Amino acid sequence: MYVHSRNALACLAAAFVLSACDGRQSVLAPSGTDALSVFDLARVMFIGAVVLWLLVGTLFIYVTRINPREMSRRKAEILIVGGGVVFPVLLLGALLVYSLPLMNAPRLADEGLRVHITAEQWWWRVDYELPDGTRIPSANELRLPVGTRTGLVLNAKKVIHSFWVPALGGKTDMIPGRETFQSLQPVTAGVYRGQCAEFCGASHALMAFETVAMEPEDFAAWLEAEARDAQPPATAPARRGAKIFAREGCGGCHTVRGTDAVGQVGPDLTHVGSRKSLAAGILDVTAEDFADWIGHTDAIKPEVAMPSYDFLPREDLAALGIYLEGLK
Amino acid sequence: MTQITEKQEAREFHAEATSVWRITFGPLLWAVHFVVSYSATAVVCAKGGDVGVLRLGIGIGTFLALAGIAWLGWRAWQQWDTLRNRGWENDTGTSQDRHQFLGHAAFLLAAISFIGVVYVALPPLLIESCQ
Amino acid sequence: MTNEHLMPVAEGPYPPTEAMLAEPVSQAEQERGKAELRAAWKTPVGWRYWSAVNNTEIGVWYSLTAFAFMLIAGLLALAIRVQLAYPDNTFLDADRFNQFFTMHGSAMMFLFAVPMFEAISILLLPALCGARDMPFPRLSAFGYWCFLIGGVFILGSLIFDAGPKAGWFMYPPLATKEEGIGPDVWLLGLSFIEVASIAAAVELIVGTLKTRPPGMRVNVMPLYAWYVMVVGGMILFAFPPLIAGDFLFELERSFNWPFFDPERGGDPLLWQHLFWIFGHPEVYIVFLPSIAIAAMIVPTVARRPIVGYSWIVLSAVGTGFLSFGLWVHHMFTTGLPQLSLGFFSAASEAVVIPTGIQLFAFVATLMVGRVKMSLPMLWIAGALAIFVAGGLTGVMLAIVPFNWQVHDTYFIVAHLHYTLFGGMVFPLIAGVYYFYPFFRKKLMSERLGRWAFWLVFTGFNLTFLPMHLTGLKGMPRRVFTYPESSGWGWLNMISTIGAFIIAAGFAVFVYDLFRSKKYQGVIARNPWGAGTLEFSHDVPEEAWGVRSIPYITTRYPLWEQDGLVERMDAGRFYLPDAPDHQRETMVTSVIDAKPIYVQRVTGPAWVTMFAAAFTGGAFIFPTFHIYEPAIVCAAFAIVCVMYWLWTTTARPPEHDMRDAGLGLRLPTYASGPNAVGWWGMWITMLGDATAFAALIFGFFFYWTARPDFPPEGALHPDGMWISVGIGLLVASWALILAGRELNSRAHVARARLAIALAPLAAAGGAFAVYLSVRDLDPTSHVYPAIMWALMVWLCVHAGAGILMQGYCFAGSIAGKLTPKYDADLRNVTLYWHFIAFKSLVVGAVLGLVPGWLP
Repeated sequence: MYVHSRNALACLAAAFVLSACDGRQSVLAPSGTDALSVFDLARVMFIGAVVLWLLVGTLFIYVTRINPREMSRRKAEILIVGGGVVFPVLLLGALLVYSLPLMNAPRLADEGLRVHITAEQWWWRVDYELPDGTRIPSANELRLPVGTRTGLVLNAKKVIHSFWVPALGGKTDMIPGRETFQSLQPVTAGVYRGQCAEFCGASHALMAFETVAMEPEDFAAWLEAEARDAQPPATAPARRGAKIFAREGCGGCHTVRGTDAVGQVGPDLTHVGSRKSLAAGILDVTAEDFADWIGHTDAIKPEVAMPSYDFLPREDLAALGIYLEGLK
Repeated sequence: MTQITEKQEAREFHAEATSVWRITFGPLLWAVHFVVSYSATAVVCAKGGDVGVLRLGIGIGTFLALAGIAWLGWRAWQQWDTLRNRGWENDTGTSQDRHQFLGHAAFLLAAISFIGVVYVALPPLLIESCQ
Repeated sequence: MTNEHLMPVAEGPYPPTEAMLAEPVSQAEQERGKAELRAAWKTPVGWRYWSAVNNTEIGVWYSLTAFAFMLIAGLLALAIRVQLAYPDNTFLDADRFNQFFTMHGSAMMFLFAVPMFEAISILLLPALCGARDMPFPRLSAFGYWCFLIGGVFILGSLIFDAGPKAGWFMYPPLATKEEGIGPDVWLLGLSFIEVASIAAAVELIVGTLKTRPPGMRVNVMPLYAWYVMVVGGMILFAFPPLIAGDFLFELERSFNWPFFDPERGGDPLLWQHLFWIFGHPEVYIVFLPSIAIAAMIVPTVARRPIVGYSWIVLSAVGTGFLSFGLWVHHMFTTGLPQLSLGFFSAASEAVVIPTGIQLFAFVATLMVGRVKMSLPMLWIAGALAIFVAGGLTGVMLAIVPFNWQVHDTYFIVAHLHYTLFGGMVFPLIAGVYYFYPFFRKKLMSERLGRWAFWLVFTGFNLTFLPMHLTGLKGMPRRVFTYPESSGWGWLNMISTIGAFIIAAGFAVFVYDLFRSKKYQGVIARNPWGAGTLEFSHDVPEEAWGVRSIPYITTRYPLWEQDGLVERMDAGRFYLPDAPDHQRETMVTSVIDAKPIYVQRVTGPAWVTMFAAAFTGGAFIFPTFHIYEPAIVCAAFAIVCVMYWLWTTTARPPEHDMRDAGLGLRLPTYASGPNAVGWWGMWITMLGDATAFAALIFGFFFYWTARPDFPPEGALHPDGMWISVGIGLLVASWALILAGRELNSRAHVARARLAIALAPLAAAGGAFAVYLSVRDLDPTSHVYPAIMWALMVWLCVHAGAGILMQGYCFAGSIAGKLTPKYDADLRNVTLYWHFIAFKSLVVGAVLGLVPGWLP
């Protein structure tokens, strides 16, 4: 795991638990500028809340149990005015002044790369737009350079979804017919898990993705590789898999750049073998998982649009798996 | 012992009706300020107006709303009459207590509305863009 | 001159002097009064029992039904918790899980929280006000039967695996595009219940304003009544936007009018606005009545009057207002301008202040008093501990950047349960223990009560405290499964165990509630030593409500007015008898509760049940896209309601005046603003106008949100037909107004002519408005669709107005409506004031605004 010095603090802050701070999808393990500033804000608010709760509780126990005798009316009036009006007005006012300006940063972005992310049921279309207008299509994984505030242009196809990588920053809804915007600025390289946060139908629970934050030079190299066409299959089983891929009409929905497969319905598979996860963050990228997925889509992801190819013989599914896993 | 007539009832109701409604005037001013600020922001941000002018406009609106609420609060304070007649509760079934109670409630609501308007004016003070 | 000179007015001494009150009532007189009241208020027996309409029956049925729905929704929650107990569990599949959590939220909100408040208020309010019954008992009965039918229908959909599954806030396009009848069940079933809720709210507001006992001025009203008034008002302004939203939503589902479809100019966010304009006040609609229960219990426990009565009134009214400025905090992540978000963040923090004042006023009362802890107070203490925690996380959630992180996660699930358990469930149970002796004439067990408390309290914290962390660790809400690698497994396991402990606590509570308490014998009338009027009730039970309606001059009459109960029992006060063997209650003025007249109250009837069943049919058949039976049902429902109104309301009385006791003679009839019916109409129309305003808001929302509104080259409504239509509708209003004035001047023939012409003008007007949009295709784009929607809204209201005009005409012919007794005509004219106003607005939006938009 990508342990950050703040992680230790996070575990301390949540003092009431023996938290296993794995940190891949946690607000308490911040690794982006926005997540860090919210983490500081949250710490202040949590400590304040606990103190206030204890004060009110103590007061209540005092007047009902410890000292249930009649007390002076004057004190009661001071309590209502002081505790009910003066104190909260000042405290909440200060909190507003502290927090309102924090909204600004995630609404702005550095010049340069823009990533267009469109949510579908239940996966993510990801499209990198370079400053010169070049588009590099990908899916189900987001890669970002460390240290830059990258703008994300968010959209949705049919229903509302919500984009969220807790370790890097807050979430923004993706709404059909509207374009929303948010930026993220990772501060540490690492792999963070994101997940759809707005209920979007049967498989809402199975709509996740990995976000890989990379050092700028690594990111540049990766982007260059991502822009290339797919590598032709290298081994015999992979070549057999490619044939089945073509025969079964997979290209009607999926694109593998550099081949005849140019479908736009499902995720782009050009470099699917190089991704950290399969089927929008729910399976591993192994030949076996590919075969399993293709053979049992509906069992793995209820109501998914992709049909189950359970009629294919196991060998065919295995070959498809090997081919796809090889699309590095 | 009084003979009550509907006419007298109507007159008294009329006299006191203003103060019953007055207890909600403070919150109503808050609501008007809130709705106007929000609608103006929605239109300016959607149709591309000048945010600086918007913020200035909300500032002026805030000033007017606060002045109005302060005036209502002052009127209610007089009606409450707490300095001459020290007492918070106004809990007897007399018309004087009812009168002062309505003044007290109106005064407190004016105070809360004042705070509400100040809070709602914070965002345009601290935020400079629509984004 | 109007008819005011015709109407008799109250005569005799008021207020009563101490000497008058001290005079004893003869034994014979007491017995006569009791016998007459018993005859008038007799509860039907045998199978006829179900035709009862008295608030003490309806209130009990209503609360038990809401409680049963709550238990069912609780079982759904247990199933949800089992599924989430450990990673990759397969106890429920995705589809069923989604139906369950949708129904859990919907049922808890719409079938439990709001109806429960109304049920308890129907049960308590008359007793708190020393009234005999609610002002419109048959309306309560109608509301109850609607609620029962609607609730069974909605929950029943789960049995057929056809429940809604898009979450309790039904966001389109997910919900508009969903296959099957689930969303229709939700929309139509709940609209049906919402209408019943509004009806109950109207009745509660009128009850608080007009049926308080003589002398109970606004500054000595029980705090519960203040809360009822505020919450009733909130329901009146919060539910209609949702009904307007339901109306648009169902038009999209049934007729493909694209209100929320972005491809044809619609916008899914409009629903979110309308839903949350309802949804956030809803939270306070649920919370305030429960705080009201606390406001009754705390003084009793402290054994002294509440400290800071005005402060509590301030916080109730202030919360009521502020709660309408919070709705966007449910939409902080939708990408609205940060300036807009800021307003709602600020208002959400501001609402904390009145809420805090409320709690500190309670603590101050406990401080000043000599506290005697009782079982109800234990539950209130638990409520305080939980609610304060929920309130503090609420303060955090109103902070936008923090909200962006935890919105739609288990942190929200934790927060909302803390506020609802602390702000609703615990005070409600406290109220059940506290008021049980009032409505069952028995006491619940102290020992079982403590067991139930500690089980529910520990179970609750075990379930929901860890959820804060589950959410912070990244678990989104509404997921039916999660992977092992997430690390959320152990937290979820703890929550599931806690949920079962809560269930055990509720089992103890339910057992205690229903177990036989025969051995207890006769309990004390006022077991807690409370100071408010409801504990002057009769033990053993009598159906008449109060033996005589007292003259009240203090906030805690049982503490502060010596000999009050004895005098009430002796029939020393008002209305101690029922010479005509008819049900009656006293109507007083709004501010100072001076007696105005004696209102005849309706008795047992089956027609309310039939009306509810047919209304149910009118809502339920369209769920299955069957429209003919629905129309037939609607027609029968109208017939039932007309029959019920015609036979029992606003009929000319046999005697103009009645001896009300203590030398006071009161009229037996009132019309215009003196009458409760007029207030009912006025308040209902305020709610209706709010729904209309929500539609108009929709029009302008599309204009700000969409660049293609109105679209290039769109066909606009026909200006000529609009002018004709609006002109005729306004003419119909003028005619009915003229009819009212002519009638009150005893020009009956001319009045009848005007009243007969009015519906013709209205029908012509409605038809002309239809013609103005006839050529627009509502399925093509949201612009023609919203024009059509406004037309439909206006025409339906004009249709109802035509029926009312016809009713007045028939009344005049049949002698039910005379120059002297003209309440119906005055109420109908009031309705038409609103129609005239709406017609002008619709005319402007259809005809003028499109030309003005930049």
